[in-house]
Amino acid sequence: MAQEIQTRIRTLATRRAFLARFASGVFASLIAPAVTSGVLDQVEAASRERTGVGPALTPELPEGMNGQHPIERMLKDLQRALQKPVDQRRWAMVIDLRKCVGCYACTVACIAENKLPPGIAYRPVITETRGTYPNVSRRFIPRPCMQCENPPCVSVCPVQATWKRPDGIVVINYDQCIGCRYCITACPYAARSFDSGYFYSDFEGGSPQPYELLPSPEYGENRVRRKDASPVGNVRKCHFCLHRIERGQLPACVLSCMGRATYFGDLNDPQSLVSELASRPNAFRLKEEMGTEPKVFYLV
Amino acid sequence: MSRTEKILWGIALVGFLAGIAGLIQRFTGGHTVAAYGTYVPWGLWVAVYTTLVGISIGSFLIAALGEGARIRALQPLTGIALLTALAALAGGLLAIWLDLGHPLRFWKLFFSTSPTSIMGWMAWLYTVYGILLLVLIYLKWARPTSPLLRPLFGLGLALAVIFGGAEGALFGVVSAQALWESALVPIRFLVEGAASGMALVLFLAILLGYLEPEPGRFLRWTLLGLLLATAVLEWSEYSTTIYAGIPAKVESLRIVLFGPFWWVFWIFQIGLGLVVPIILLALSGERRVWLGVAGGLVAFTSLSAKLNLVIPALVVPELEGLRMAFTGPGLSFDYFPTLSEWLLAVWVASTAALIFLTAYRLLPAMRARPA
Ligand code: SF4
Ligand code: SF4
Repeated sequence: MAQEIQTRIRTLATRRAFLARFASGVFASLIAPAVTSGVLDQVEAASRERTGVGPALTPELPEGMNGQHPIERMLKDLQRALQKPVDQRRWAMVIDLRKCVGCYACTVACIAENKLPPGIAYRPVITETRGTYPNVSRRFIPRPCMQCENPPCVSVCPVQATWKRPDGIVVINYDQCIGCRYCITACPYAARSFDSGYFYSDFEGGSPQPYELLPSPEYGENRVRRKDASPVGNVRKCHFCLHRIERGQLPACVLSCMGRATYFGDLNDPQSLVSELASRPNAFRLKEEMGTEPKVFYLV
Repeated sequence: MSRTEKILWGIALVGFLAGIAGLIQRFTGGHTVAAYGTYVPWGLWVAVYTTLVGISIGSFLIAALGEGARIRALQPLTGIALLTALAALAGGLLAIWLDLGHPLRFWKLFFSTSPTSIMGWMAWLYTVYGILLLVLIYLKWARPTSPLLRPLFGLGLALAVIFGGAEGALFGVVSAQALWESALVPIRFLVEGAASGMALVLFLAILLGYLEPEPGRFLRWTLLGLLLATAVLEWSEYSTTIYAGIPAKVESLRIVLFGPFWWVFWIFQIGLGLVVPIILLALSGERRVWLGVAGGLVAFTSLSAKLNLVIPALVVPELEGLRMAFTGPGLSFDYFPTLSEWLLAVWVASTAALIFLTAYRLLPAMRARPA
């Protein structure tokens, strides 16, 4: 029996090594719980049996198995932050590039959540290929708005239609925006989009599809998009799903991330998961040299 | 009405009527009729706007130097220069107004001006400048001996220099666009604007038969100086960019010099806009026909320099891989104006021409004596 368990430990370790090397983190976090379920107790028992003191070989476990589930923790972080006055919150995102598999679930979830029209994606996923064949590597970089601490997009707006809220989220007042698009040119991350007024039905003929008649919950305004009214003719951007946050929900991209590569929370709370992750030495931000102080951190 | 004037009316009317198609498309199709969008948010209309505003500043400088700084040689051209300045300003503002996502909200520029935005400041500067132009035209027409003229021209001179530079600063302060972010851009705007405006007045004065030898000589050397200054500024900007090797900036410059629209730079901006006029102005004496050709070339190719500033900066992706990250309308880093954009640009230019021709006809006092 003990021998059989030792073999299973080895198999498990080999499989995990395989996963770590050849599959992305998402598969590890998705498959490993299934692989290990029910086995862990036996693993621990076998170790005790062998050494008499405790586990000799502790396989690296996916985070979900290590204490609190991250979604649960982020929700608690969110609740804690919402108890504080708005100016004491600092919403931030951490994206673990080792876990992102480039599935675009976040892109799609964001589009569905905010009822975005063709040609607008608040959170595209960039595929970065490095090196030349045969020494090629590839990584996926989701790119929401960085909610910069020093947002260059804000100061250029001639009519004060866009600003940084006390909690750090950069928002746009669609009724105030004149659609000059100066802010798009000023964003170093291309995180702003111009709503030119396209509808999916323009490309497929016929009248607007049911999806296009749904109100967008953005900024809690529930606007139904029409050709002759805002947000058509405006600039639009990711707002960390502000409408969801204020309801105590996580942003759509965070919940939909199947690789569990995206984390969200309050940077002003040292107990929060994002604070913990963002302070790691392997965290970096895009174009730090621009001095924009992004609040989206990437882990590598 | 002279034959030349009739021809100018004819050309302007044809352009105006043809361009109406672009205007109708803009109003019925909104911004979906244009090729700009999210990745390249500014296109032909912004380039037209900056060009026309530059021309306005340049032509106003002639009037302001003549009347404000008392340069006698330029005084016979005051009237025509003021009308050119007004028409070009009107055209430029029309272009940028139609470029707005919500043109009917333009009034917000005045009631919610952001003190940190150069564009916000520009709205006020344009307004003051536009009113000043109207007042000066009125005074010049109705009270040509008014003591107010000189101080107002002096004020206008200061204003033209400030907002000529500010127009360039609108681009120069954008650190996200490597090609724009340069202290030379405001100076280039000022010098190129002065050159294009003066060149247009020179061209029109010759065409309409009002150029006397003295203003001709003055404009010839001034324009030559401005073109040489433009050449030095462009050389300085481009050579330091290449040497410094900042990737995004070099990439934009590579697109300007060797990209798919290399000919806009080499043929229009450098060849016809700089080299040929410099040769003509330097070598062909004061023969009107050559002065007129030089002036016309500088004025009509001035759009190329603005196109080469506005667009190449925007067609370089801010992040590597963005080009393919998500696709859809407006998500393209390749930009070429659509037919609607061209038509609307023609309509704007023709409208400016018609404003000039109408004012020229209605205000005979603004015309100098025929040479
Ligand atoms: S990423 Fe761009 S749009 Fe977002 S806050 Fe920063 S500058 Fe503004
Ligand atoms: S597009 Fe709208 S938000 Fe952006 S700078 Fe212009 S007015 Fe401001």
